[in-house]
Amino acid sequence: MKDIMLVCSAGMSTSLLVVKMQEAAAARNLSVNIFAVSEGEAINHYDKISVLLLGPQVRYLKKKIEKQLEPKGVPVEVINSLHYGTLNGAAVLDAALELAK
Amino acid sequence: MKGLLNWFEEHFIPVAAKIGSQRHLVAIRDGFIAIMPLIIAGSVAVMINNLSLPGYDHNALMSKIFGDGWRALGGNVWWGTLAMMALLVSFTIAYNLAKSYDVNPLTAGVLSVSSFMVLIPQMFVSASVPEALDGIAVPAELVGKTIGTWGNINWSFLSYSSLFGAIAVALIVTEIYVKLVKSKKFEIKLPENVPPAVSKTFATLVPVMITIFIVGFAQVWIDKTGTSVSKFLLDVVQKPVSEVGNTLGGAIAVAFSNHIFWFFGLHGSNILDPVMQSVFMPLATANADLLAQGKEMTYIVTKSFFDGFVYMGGSGTTVGLLAAIFVFGKDKAQRSIAKIAAPTSLFNINEPVVFGLPIVLNPLFFLPFVFGPVILTIISYTATAVGLVPMTSVIVPWTTPPVIGAFLATNGSVAAAALALFNLALTVVMYLPFVILSNRKLEKSL
Repeated sequence: MKDIMLVCSAGMSTSLLVVKMQEAAAARNLSVNIFAVSEGEAINHYDKISVLLLGPQVRYLKKKIEKQLEPKGVPVEVINSLHYGTLNGAAVLDAALELAK
Repeated sequence: MKGLLNWFEEHFIPVAAKIGSQRHLVAIRDGFIAIMPLIIAGSVAVMINNLSLPGYDHNALMSKIFGDGWRALGGNVWWGTLAMMALLVSFTIAYNLAKSYDVNPLTAGVLSVSSFMVLIPQMFVSASVPEALDGIAVPAELVGKTIGTWGNINWSFLSYSSLFGAIAVALIVTEIYVKLVKSKKFEIKLPENVPPAVSKTFATLVPVMITIFIVGFAQVWIDKTGTSVSKFLLDVVQKPVSEVGNTLGGAIAVAFSNHIFWFFGLHGSNILDPVMQSVFMPLATANADLLAQGKEMTYIVTKSFFDGFVYMGGSGTTVGLLAAIFVFGKDKAQRSIAKIAAPTSLFNINEPVVFGLPIVLNPLFFLPFVFGPVILTIISYTATAVGLVPMTSVIVPWTTPPVIGAFLATNGSVAAAALALFNLALTVVMYLPFVILSNRKLEKSL
């Protein structure tokens, strides 16, 4: 099973997107685990995720997180800001699954 | 616009990245965030004791229900939370910093608390015996003699006044400890048949001992100068920073830079949070401490001030923008984004507005988004400074809906709620011309 973690400042706005992504996954009968956490909490989940997506507003954390995740081989990407703003769960799910391949 | 974006990405992202991932700043921020539930509980305790709703005598009612000592409950909770704030963060900041180095955070946390206590002057409190005590004459041979106790701590060494001291001690002590642990020179080699758990405790023993003795030696020297770490930092750093932060200029600088970051799609509040948490949040609790002691509050610009009067519906006071779109907006895409964003905007989460509308890099909304909040800051500062609205002393969760937040932050001031409402109305007016302008653009493109 793929575990997709979304990270933003407090994990609140990305949790909105998580709901939409879960709906999109359910519609396709995919078994994926999608969740959102705050920036500070993210490090506690590094061992059990397949991909990490960053909210565009915290894209400046990408380098730091990439460095932390490099040894584990977990891809890190910033969510497309238009998909993020319009809460386009299906598009973000596609992007996440593509990365986690 | 593309050129501007590139320029910004090149020059600002590295700065934001540096601030946003600088481990000491992040440790400070997360240290404060860790004690936030206690701070809110303490704020509520002070609020219970100082509620000031119009047309109702809070004290009389509470005394009637709970008896004359009803303030004890709020006082007790305040004492253990807000009044001990420096002690609390001395643990949490060290904990988070050590964690970022992947060094045992619990050991670093307790070592920091211990070091913080080492650096507090041990006080001897004495008084000379008066001629009479409670109307009872004291035997003449005792009058004028001094009696005293040793082992006192002034609470100001554990509270707001020692905050920067606690931060500095946590950072420095943890740095020393981490360096010692990582150097591996001090690990005590035990025979191989000793269980790893046992040898682990020894591995921390020497670094802890060296660190605490360094701190103890430092205090011998500091004490001779007649000051203390906390008092020195209070006078040299904390007070000047707070004074600057508490001015209109300081408040404008915070509001302006937050929204410039957001305009470029960066989480301004997240980047500025180390300052917000270590300077402006404590100023609200400093007000609460003054209130708890029955004194006048002194700080206008606090975290609660920004949350309550300016960042309503999120950065950019976008609740006003949504209202303007609902009433006058003709662009279907705009209206559908506004619909998606409305429920969360009530709890001050507005990323869908900022990225979906979008506001990011949209010249149309630059003026009201960046300067609207600056104007609200000026209005709210002035209203507070002239006494129309009380100062904020309650830390309210930032997700508290607009107007209610301002009401609670001021111990239930109707005037504060009215100011928040006025600010909201003003924001609608400020966004309105730009929503109409976007309608015209739409008509032209059709």
